[in-house]
Amino acid sequence: MDFFLGTYYPVFMYLVVVIGFAIAAPLTAHLIAPRKVTPVKQMPYESGMDPIGDARMKFDVKFYLIAILFLVFDVELLFLYPWAATNQTTGSLIPSAFKDVVFWEIQAFLLTVVVAYIYAWRKGVFKWR
Amino acid sequence: MQDNLAIALMGFPSQLLPEIILGLAACVLFLGATWKVSRHVWGTVALAALVLAGLAMWSVHHSHTPIENEPKAEFADTIRFSAPVLYTKFGVLFKLIGLITGVLLVLLGWDEGGEEHAGEYHACLLLIAAGIGLTGAANDLITLFLALELISIPTYIVLYLPRITAPAQEAAMKYFLLSVFSSGLLLFGFSYLYGVTGTTNISGILDSLGASQGGIATRAVPTWRGLVLVSLVMIVAGLGFRITAVPFHFYAPDVYQGTTTVSAGMLAFVPKIVGFAALLKLLGFVGDSNGQAMGSQAPILFWIMAAVTMTLGNILALWQTNIKRLLAYSSIAHAGYMLIGLAVAPRMTGTSADAVNGVEAVVFYLAAYGAMTLGSFAVLHVLSQSGKTVENEDDLVGLGKTHPVMALVMVLFLFSLIGMPLTAGFVGKFLLFFDAMSVFSSIPEGNAEAVRQATEQGRLYGLLALIGAVNAAIGAWYYLRLASAMYLREAIMPLPAVKTTPAVFAMVVCAVLTLVLGMFPSTLLSPIREAIRPTIAGQAKIAADGPKVAQR
Repeated sequence: MDFFLGTYYPVFMYLVVVIGFAIAAPLTAHLIAPRKVTPVKQMPYESGMDPIGDARMKFDVKFYLIAILFLVFDVELLFLYPWAATNQTTGSLIPSAFKDVVFWEIQAFLLTVVVAYIYAWRKGVFKWR
Repeated sequence: MQDNLAIALMGFPSQLLPEIILGLAACVLFLGATWKVSRHVWGTVALAALVLAGLAMWSVHHSHTPIENEPKAEFADTIRFSAPVLYTKFGVLFKLIGLITGVLLVLLGWDEGGEEHAGEYHACLLLIAAGIGLTGAANDLITLFLALELISIPTYIVLYLPRITAPAQEAAMKYFLLSVFSSGLLLFGFSYLYGVTGTTNISGILDSLGASQGGIATRAVPTWRGLVLVSLVMIVAGLGFRITAVPFHFYAPDVYQGTTTVSAGMLAFVPKIVGFAALLKLLGFVGDSNGQAMGSQAPILFWIMAAVTMTLGNILALWQTNIKRLLAYSSIAHAGYMLIGLAVAPRMTGTSADAVNGVEAVVFYLAAYGAMTLGSFAVLHVLSQSGKTVENEDDLVGLGKTHPVMALVMVLFLFSLIGMPLTAGFVGKFLLFFDAMSVFSSIPEGNAEAVRQATEQGRLYGLLALIGAVNAAIGAWYYLRLASAMYLREAIMPLPAVKTTPAVFAMVVCAVLTLVLGMFPSTLLSPIREAIRPTIAGQAKIAADGPKVAQR
């Protein structure tokens, strides 16, 4: 198979646009943005939170647990949805010989997700304490 | 063709029965531990799962033919070039090593950490054992990566779970971050490999790179050698972290020191064996190819890494007083010795079937190293169980008088690590150094240029053997220092008496393995040869069975 640089022109064009935007956006803001000097705006990091103090803050572990649980279900959806969409349609991407095997693989995957879910449940992740 | 493909893709769950059993058992342990807190219950269940996996392996052994013995060549090729996992003798060997390692780790970890974590701890150990088996069977970059992660992710938990102190946290965090980084490097290398060859199937990749001699399609890619080299460097870097090769060794001493003794023992052995298994697979050392799939520069790379790794590991080990740090540097040094085998193997393809090839020597050394290093960590663990943590050289003082049996066992492991005769370490070192020396003796007849090159290579590898021998001598200094502390110094505060626990049993198994592999190396060497070089092993067998048939 020969290698054609031409195949990649869209990528290069995209690259030019990305770099151009990265330069243009702050530049435009710098040129045309209005300037009102207030103490809050002079802060090095302007956000809802007061950035003064120790950089090491303790976050409640609940947030991490929720994040992990979210991942469990998010990944589940990511796998299940495309499979469910292609499995039953005719002329799908999965050759018919492999449909059974893929079905059982999905079941095995669901089993691990369920195990993780029950584990989290038993560990009391769903109690918001 | 389509049918063969379907068989290839669908036949693998039955081969992976041992791993599936271990995975299910791990699920049972994870869930069960939330209902019942008991180290004895979950330890027993873990052992039962490992035994069951062993029985499953036995039944798989009877119902499946290894791919090397498959009589229908076309069918074998279809499977080889499409299946994500292969049932090979190499895979069976690593599955067996994985199960034995699993049993030893479960026994060692029996009394580790808090009782409330016992279920999760043993579940992670089962997953690690399954990961070793899967690494040996993997025939696809993706399966291989998953197998390596199946070991890495439980490892993070095993490092952290049994002891939650600041050093243990540092150890777990350090290992986690660096391991993720190394996985990234590995994947980067994989992506180049896929880009160049257009497949993620390892047999297919090796075929494309022109490494294997037989095969259905040789889609050689001569013009992309530069990119293959990038991939080689990235893969060696990513796996170099796992085998603690210099310059990817920095984490080892801190992590071993920070974590518990059993976790340190696990870290010293498990990542090394899977790292080497992955290297052997990816670089085409298994089978009849010469391990130069990713370029003829690979041996030079391994030559340099071997020399630097063993020298640095041994010299830095001289300064350590903490035994776990010392064993960490010793583990780095041993990785260096093993790399000699990888450097030498491509130069030894012409040698006779009787000679032990460099790759075989590496696999033997891995097994021997596993027995002796797990054993020495086991001694430390057993001694620590009565309350006082044995970590420093001074803690071992006078052990020869207060605990004569423990001291004797420790000396056995130390002697094996030095490479004294009658121990596994001696046979391993002998094979590796002898291989490096033998390159010099196999100079071919031919034109002057070829002879000149071969002579130069012979000198180069002779030098490597010399560096290895000097390093073995340096190593003897610090191992013997520990032995002298045990026998020549008087204990001021003797350690409390040793309790009989499952860990003692694991220690005894390691000691027996060290001695058996040292005295009867062929018990392991012949299965290794069948796994690494099936055709040559077959020829040798024919020659042994009926010399008239095999006369050439």
